[in-house]
Amino acid sequence: MARELLTGNAAAAWGVRLADVDYVPAFPITPQTEIIETLSGWYSDGTMKGKFVTMDSEHSMLTAAGAASATGARVFTATSSQGLLYAFEVLYSVAGWRVPLVMVNVSRALSSPITLEPDHNDILSARDCGFLQIHTETCQEVLDSVIMSYKLAEDRRVLLPVLVNLDGYYLSFTREPVEIPDADKVKDFLPQYKPDHASFHASGPMAQGLAVLGGYIYSYFKYQMHLASLNALSVHEEIAEEFYNLFGRKYGVVEEYKLDDAEYVLIMSNTFATKGKAAVEKFREIGCKVGLLRLRVVRPLPTKKIQDILKNRKGTAVIDQNISIGYGGIFYSEIAALMCNEANKPVILSFICGLGGKDISMKEFQKILDDTINASLTGNIPGTQLLYTDVEWAKMKHLLDVAGKPVI
Amino acid sequence: MIRIRFHGRGGHGMKTAGRIAGTAAFLEGYYAQDFPVYGAERRGAPITAYTRISKDRILERGIFSEPDIVIIADESLINDPAANPLQGVTKKTITIINTMVNDIKDKFSILGIVNTIDATGLCLEIIGKGSAVSAALGGAACRIIGIIQKDNLINAVIKELKNINLPEELIEKNVEVAEKCYEILSPIIIQHGEDIPDSPIETITLPYQYPTMSSPSVFSSGNIIEKKTGGWRIFKPVINLEKCNKCWICFVYCPEGVISLDESEYPHIDYDHCKGCLICYEECPVKVITVEREIETW
Repeated sequence: MARELLTGNAAAAWGVRLADVDYVPAFPITPQTEIIETLSGWYSDGTMKGKFVTMDSEHSMLTAAGAASATGARVFTATSSQGLLYAFEVLYSVAGWRVPLVMVNVSRALSSPITLEPDHNDILSARDCGFLQIHTETCQEVLDSVIMSYKLAEDRRVLLPVLVNLDGYYLSFTREPVEIPDADKVKDFLPQYKPDHASFHASGPMAQGLAVLGGYIYSYFKYQMHLASLNALSVHEEIAEEFYNLFGRKYGVVEEYKLDDAEYVLIMSNTFATKGKAAVEKFREIGCKVGLLRLRVVRPLPTKKIQDILKNRKGTAVIDQNISIGYGGIFYSEIAALMCNEANKPVILSFICGLGGKDISMKEFQKILDDTINASLTGNIPGTQLLYTDVEWAKMKHLLDVAGKPVI
Repeated sequence: MIRIRFHGRGGHGMKTAGRIAGTAAFLEGYYAQDFPVYGAERRGAPITAYTRISKDRILERGIFSEPDIVIIADESLINDPAANPLQGVTKKTITIINTMVNDIKDKFSILGIVNTIDATGLCLEIIGKGSAVSAALGGAACRIIGIIQKDNLINAVIKELKNINLPEELIEKNVEVAEKCYEILSPIIIQHGEDIPDSPIETITLPYQYPTMSSPSVFSSGNIIEKKTGGWRIFKPVINLEKCNKCWICFVYCPEGVISLDESEYPHIDYDHCKGCLICYEECPVKVITVEREIETW
């Protein structure tokens, strides 16, 4: 075991290396990441045994990944933002093939306007396709989650592909101390993949990825995917326990931060949850009982777990780093829906923060808390709010002026 | 927690400087977090790198706007709104600027402690090239904060420069540069408060605006000329017109199109926009273009 400063990208690559992946197809240029650069180096200098192939698009890349996985190989690939959208059609296809490949997405806000910094509209656009989704907060969690994802995906009760998400810049380019697990210990945790439902042998021909006609046939296969996805919740608990025993780091389907006595709960995902934790610390210093619930396994959504955590609290604020245009926050709609039949539910407020990587200041966390406390006292619950500061608004107005915008 | 912010242009090596500081602190036994932010990945475009160093686990993410230390790789960035290196600088901030200008603190009314260092000159002297100042300014940062031993700085420089595949001999020279910076500078006591002060900012509700205003388009055109890229120069080409034979070779080869011909067909360089690539100097067949070290480009 070694402790090193690693970026989120390097941590993802280390996860792949330790998982002893056989095949990596990759689209090699923008918006591709250093994950693929690092892996291509390791395959070419012999550090990793297997095959690395560059493809002409993310669409081809994911098709190749799915096909390779269907032969029984352990497969990895990675993309980001617009690249994930370019592969969109294939996401549904390969999930339907029930192939246990792992793909990392480096979250970056979608065009247009074109930008580089993170939010989660890219990864959440893929929430319904059948891939499991694990959203990460730290570089360590990226590395560990890639390894855990193979065990989860390859479990007979699941057999679905996994998307591991990490934030662009604020994780992908950010270095922090990471424990690199011992390769032999990882082998104990994650033995070689032995496919029984999808593999190719000359001696045993089979056909995969068939077309079906008739809704009852289609419905059967889709619902099997749904049931398999739900199985992943308990399988994740088992895997996390085993991982903890071997490596000493514990990952739940959600992370509960200072929730024991919390009256108010902030709900966040991904890297900016760290900022939320810092805000929780501040609020606790002045005696306010606040905790944070971080969504980690997002598909399947651990509804029962979240219900148990949220019931009997006074208020909760869902902080979405995404926006469903014409509706509001995506996680808000899911949290509100899963709480709607609970008897003792908190008020649930919706905030949109951090779009395009916009910072979340302490002042904004303060507003979130004030509004939530106020709503729980008065019962007046405000609609979805985009958080924006007067300083940002002044700068924005200046830029509009520079752009020569005519006022109509 | 120590928060160091590095400002430079693509090619200065400020991402690497930030990593040198991060790695040195990590080797020293601290928690470190470092990352760069850049838009267009091209030489000359402003970039920022951030390094956090702490005894305890770091509960922060992303950019910070209250730096304890600001490192500026090129004084021409000070007035560049795209770089804005003095943002969040208070009377407690320590600012280190790579410059040969002495009265820079007064000239730009910079708050707090301002130290200057001729990192470009040092690199020219030791390495023979002055464009990348990563080891110099990474070394400066490590020295100023006063908690990094010289050995760990050297190990960090070697580790980070190996990481970007620099040849052995160049790494050795960079180590020499870092050591020199370590010797020239002295630690400065950092006067930060652990608490981020209550800021006076308020949250607002965005109003609806008509798409002429709210779509991502630009109506004012022809303003690229206002971006004075001449600030990037380390060396300035100067044409001796008395000896110029009007062959126009410099005019043809200039990749930026900043050499123009006057009525008598003599070439003239637009120094507001010449980036100092020195292709004109290389190509001039009669060798009447000379090169001067740039001291003050704005």
